[in-house]
Amino acid sequence: MSKFYAILLDTFLEIRSSKIIYLYAAITLVLLLVFGLFPSIDIESGNIPKGSLFSPELASEVMAFFFSGFLGFVIFLMVFGSAWLLPAYLSRGRVELILSKPINRFRLLSMKFAAVFMIKAGILIIMTILIWIILAIRLESFSGYFFFGLLLGCLQFLAIYTIVFAIGVIGRSGVLAIMGYFIIRIVSGLLSSREIVYNFLGDSVWKTIIDIFYYILPKIGEMDSNYKSLMTGNGFSNTFAIYTTLAFSAALFLITLFIFRRRDF
Amino acid sequence: MIDDSKAIEITNLSKIFKGGARGEVRALDDVSFDVHTGEIFGLLGPNGAGKTTMVKLLLGSLYPTSGTASINGHDISTEAARHKIGFLPENHQFPSYLTGRQMLLYFGGMAGLPQAELKTKIDFLLKMVGMFDWRNSKLKKYSKGMMQRLGLAQALINDPEIIFLDEPTDGVDPIGRREIRDILLNLKRQGKTIFLNSHLLSEVESVCDRVGILNKGKLIKTGPIGGLITAKPAYRVETAGLTENIIGKIKESFPGANIEDNIISITLDDSKQINNLVDLLRQSEIDVISVTPIKVSLEDSFMRLIKGEEVHE
Repeated sequence: MSKFYAILLDTFLEIRSSKIIYLYAAITLVLLLVFGLFPSIDIESGNIPKGSLFSPELASEVMAFFFSGFLGFVIFLMVFGSAWLLPAYLSRGRVELILSKPINRFRLLSMKFAAVFMIKAGILIIMTILIWIILAIRLESFSGYFFFGLLLGCLQFLAIYTIVFAIGVIGRSGVLAIMGYFIIRIVSGLLSSREIVYNFLGDSVWKTIIDIFYYILPKIGEMDSNYKSLMTGNGFSNTFAIYTTLAFSAALFLITLFIFRRRDF
Repeated sequence: MIDDSKAIEITNLSKIFKGGARGEVRALDDVSFDVHTGEIFGLLGPNGAGKTTMVKLLLGSLYPTSGTASINGHDISTEAARHKIGFLPENHQFPSYLTGRQMLLYFGGMAGLPQAELKTKIDFLLKMVGMFDWRNSKLKKYSKGMMQRLGLAQALINDPEIIFLDEPTDGVDPIGRREIRDILLNLKRQGKTIFLNSHLLSEVESVCDRVGILNKGKLIKTGPIGGLITAKPAYRVETAGLTENIIGKIKESFPGANIEDNIISITLDDSKQINNLVDLLRQSEIDVISVTPIKVSLEDSFMRLIKGEEVHE
């Protein structure tokens, strides 16, 4: 049995045993029932129409609108449900045994990160695709561009999960990880509206400092703006936000590994 | 089957914890000792002596501040040092969402064992520790003693050459303790080296070949268990009709004697000296009711050493 498979299996069983898995299932089931059973009533006339309710263009717009919001919501749920996994893994009484196995710390943490990401991203993909299938059938809109949006959703989850992972490893607290995620989310939101903040600042030094923070910190909110354009076949609307966010996450991941490698447990 | 080769070598190992409410804490201070291949070595010490810190340093949870150590000739900082070892930590928190079988599968996988080998090994070990009937139950349903048994199976999953056990009988009932003791002695017969951390001195006395005693981070004694418990011969002599005059004579000839209510407690350099005491009593027409050798237990030696250290300080 490979060490990665052992970690993957353990992570899967840990996630399966958590309560939040029922929440994922309940949300998916409710949405499938709502979209699957709700009759296609013509809003204007109140009759059940014989043809499609929306034109193909409008159906594509509706789906893109829905899934850009849905993915953000599901990513939040995934982050919320995974924040405690690393602190639990590194808890006293458990970490000593794991570290006594013949595996170096760099590989151990990387494999645990990958296992959590793969399982959570897998749940995200299954939930989203199930709902997309039922919606696509009901709206007769089978645009393949949806999958680009889903891919972006996975990348966004990867970036956010890296932040939660880093705080979880360094602070060894799930609550701290969630708080850290919210703080970065709020700060990145404020920085993306920095043009407004500039009006209140006379000093150009402060503007430069704010700009530096803007370029360094992840742009989670700005990544959202890509969903709609991607899923309607219009490509990326803000690639800069994606590149810089992923670069930040990669750097943070490496720093976390370095800290973990030298840490006493 | 103890041989001269060294399974574990520890040289001038120190660990200082910095920061925290207590400032700088010297958990281990320049500790050096060896554990020979095939022996059961017991590390003893009061709470906070540094026993768990020692195991954590050897197994990679902590980094030493100074000094070196090796396991099977591999420096403890290398992955190779942890290839053929098993470990049962103190106060372990095994994942409660796993079943007994899944836990062994997970830790066996982490040790790099092939899946086919694992399946037969898991059943064998579960039977050995008496947990086979519970193999498909979640760990959250296990008692403390059951967890210890499973933990022991986990420590043996990769057929280790050296097994580190930190308080292995903690929470285990007397029957279970006896079974664990038998397993340890059986492992010793198979040529395994066992490093045992325990505060249960009777347990250490019954299974260990050699012991090391730690106190406040310092190693105050190492040696064969026989050497520790067979210190100077001691006796308890019960008499009748001791007078102040005779007591004075006894104290003159045996300055270390402790006399209370016609009972003389005495530690001698040579067991033959007890005859001199009996002769003295008989010449003084004192009735000797009984002469009882006092067996020095490991606990007595341990207490004497720890107290001696404290007085010395």
